[in-house]
Amino acid sequence: MEWIGLLNYAVFMAIFICIYGLLALGLNIQWGFSGLFNAGIAGFFAVGAYTSAILTTPEADGRIGGFDMPVPVGWAGAMLLAAAIAWPIGKICLRFRSDYLAIASIGVAEIIRLVIKSEDWLTNSARGVTNIPRPFGDLPYAQSQLAYLALVGGVLFVAYLLVERQIAAPWGRMMRAIRDNELAARAMGKDVPFRRLEAFVFGAALMGLGGALFAHLNRAITPEAIDPMVATFLVWIMLILGGSGNNRGAILGVAVVWVIWSFSEILTDQFPPEIAIKAKYIRIFLIGLMLQLVLRFRPEGILPEPQRGVSGKKDS
Amino acid sequence: MKNVRLALAGALLGATALAAPAQADVKIGLLGGVSGPIAAMAPAMIDSAQLAIQQVNDQGGILNGEKLVPVVGDSACNPQNATDAATKAVNIEGVIAIVGPHCSGAVLAAANSVAVPAGVVIITPSGTSPEISKLDDKDLVFRTVPSDDFQGRALARTLLERGTNKVAVAYLNNDYGKGLAEAFKVEFEDKGGEIAGFAAHEEGKASYRSDLAELADGGADTLVIFDYGDGAGLTMLRQALENGFFENFVGGDGMKSDAPIKELGAENLTTFTASSPVGAQSEALEVFNEAFKGVGGDPDAIFVTTSYDAAFLAALAIEKAGGDKAKVAEALRSVSDGKGETILPGEWQKAKELIAAGTDIDYKGAAGDHDFDELGDVPGVYALFKVQDGAFVVDTEMK
Repeated sequence: MEWIGLLNYAVFMAIFICIYGLLALGLNIQWGFSGLFNAGIAGFFAVGAYTSAILTTPEADGRIGGFDMPVPVGWAGAMLLAAAIAWPIGKICLRFRSDYLAIASIGVAEIIRLVIKSEDWLTNSARGVTNIPRPFGDLPYAQSQLAYLALVGGVLFVAYLLVERQIAAPWGRMMRAIRDNELAARAMGKDVPFRRLEAFVFGAALMGLGGALFAHLNRAITPEAIDPMVATFLVWIMLILGGSGNNRGAILGVAVVWVIWSFSEILTDQFPPEIAIKAKYIRIFLIGLMLQLVLRFRPEGILPEPQRGVSGKKDS
Repeated sequence: MKNVRLALAGALLGATALAAPAQADVKIGLLGGVSGPIAAMAPAMIDSAQLAIQQVNDQGGILNGEKLVPVVGDSACNPQNATDAATKAVNIEGVIAIVGPHCSGAVLAAANSVAVPAGVVIITPSGTSPEISKLDDKDLVFRTVPSDDFQGRALARTLLERGTNKVAVAYLNNDYGKGLAEAFKVEFEDKGGEIAGFAAHEEGKASYRSDLAELADGGADTLVIFDYGDGAGLTMLRQALENGFFENFVGGDGMKSDAPIKELGAENLTTFTASSPVGAQSEALEVFNEAFKGVGGDPDAIFVTTSYDAAFLAALAIEKAGGDKAKVAEALRSVSDGKGETILPGEWQKAKELIAAGTDIDYKGAAGDHDFDELGDVPGVYALFKVQDGAFVVDTEMK
């Protein structure tokens, strides 16, 4: 019996790792390959989550929709709208250099969060959207979790393959050139602003998809889920820890952070309750410590970016 | 790539093996916002729930003398951590019922993705969003705190009865403030009152003077604040008093906190009233207050009574259901349906004997009678409190 429980929990963690894996992949395209310091992940996550929620829920009073569409339409819509919103933002903000872009993107994400939190007609404001259909949601608990894992795992795998392919292609080489030496890339005749915008929009679409998968998992989305702490900075920690510029590293970073987060709680719960409650803060400390250690001793992350073409032979 | 996967799988398995539970006690999950935005409120709420569990264990334990063991999980007031904590509690710890989570968004996520599919009863002591009533919950989601709809409406009626026909409303922009304010507005306008200003504010700002000035422009002399008395609500109250924007102030239960009295002084709060749930049998509340003071708790802290009741009710329901997870929901309704022998807070031994004898029991809690309606909600009994001699005293009963 206990093993079944543990397996159930492992399945749940795997689902979360897949969802956050999508966010980390999206960020990896923006930061890892293109050097865009996007600190507004929560904003695109939110756009995706709410778009899919509004498209797929049954008709509801007091807010726009729901349109009761099939779930895949919701997911596609989430990607499209996240991309569509990223486009004008990128158009304006990408002219800033890295740190200014970070500030601008935090601002944009906060604006999105406050709009979602305040606009009744659009998102039911602080109460959030409920009754979101969940694929395979009618199955018994364990089966339903497994089926959802298969679904999000498949989505992550496809996204991973596509991103890998894109990065290995000339486009990826060009993006790294722009990241590493913008002037040289421009001198080679590359349209730097447009290419950066491409990367920004592409990454945002993946973040939107991650948001949609999250909303359907919980059958509800509320503004509390788009807190910058859990939806922006956590993803950054995951990517830096795992290794930016490496897609496998990004996904590994997600796994490491969730595993630390979860299992340190299980360990601290073995203490008596009075201490266990206080000990929960150690989780935040542990993740911070892990990040410090990685930055100090392995600044390129656990799985560093492969050095493509350095020796002329090792290139893939 | 293969190595990475293997290492990952190994880490997962290794860590799970370490965490295998050791004893066969009856476990109950206490999920709360230990970290996150309500970290200041959560410890007292968890303490009061643990008081209930301690009483159960001191008075003979649960079922066949087994110990009731709390499993505290950190739901951090967001859906991500709430689902994680709930999944852990249900699957790894094998809890039979869950008390919590504390925030509405966390309740929705934990109920939808874990508790309801896994058939575990979830009783929230502080999730007040009306959305929780609408959940397709197979009758597994309950709460010991009334939905904001009830309080907002009751407050609107009471104010009108007292002859206050024109008010301005300021509310904290979250599910709590918004829920109260919306319900208040609908009822107040329906019954012929006039809302002269209606505005949300964000928490944690240094100054609310411009918000207050805008609200005061409507010409009302009464300000209704739906916020927390130790947060933005306090700042707002102070600045409104300092600048004389309004004469009378009315708050929801979040405002009935000791912070305004301590910070602003009782002599300045003669025109301040706050609505708050009260136990229908004030005797039950007194019993709880004594017991909670006895373990060093502050019985006036927000949501401690509802947390206590949620935990005690969960224990009663488990006892009644004979430890069968599938029957807990049904048992929960039967131990608190208004029929049967009255059980007050802390009367575990008596309840246990009555259940063993097959007598119907009815729990009257510190925060109210908790006669659940078909949605798992409680109607709640409210009173309007005023400040007298440095403490809150009941001014008017609310209907």
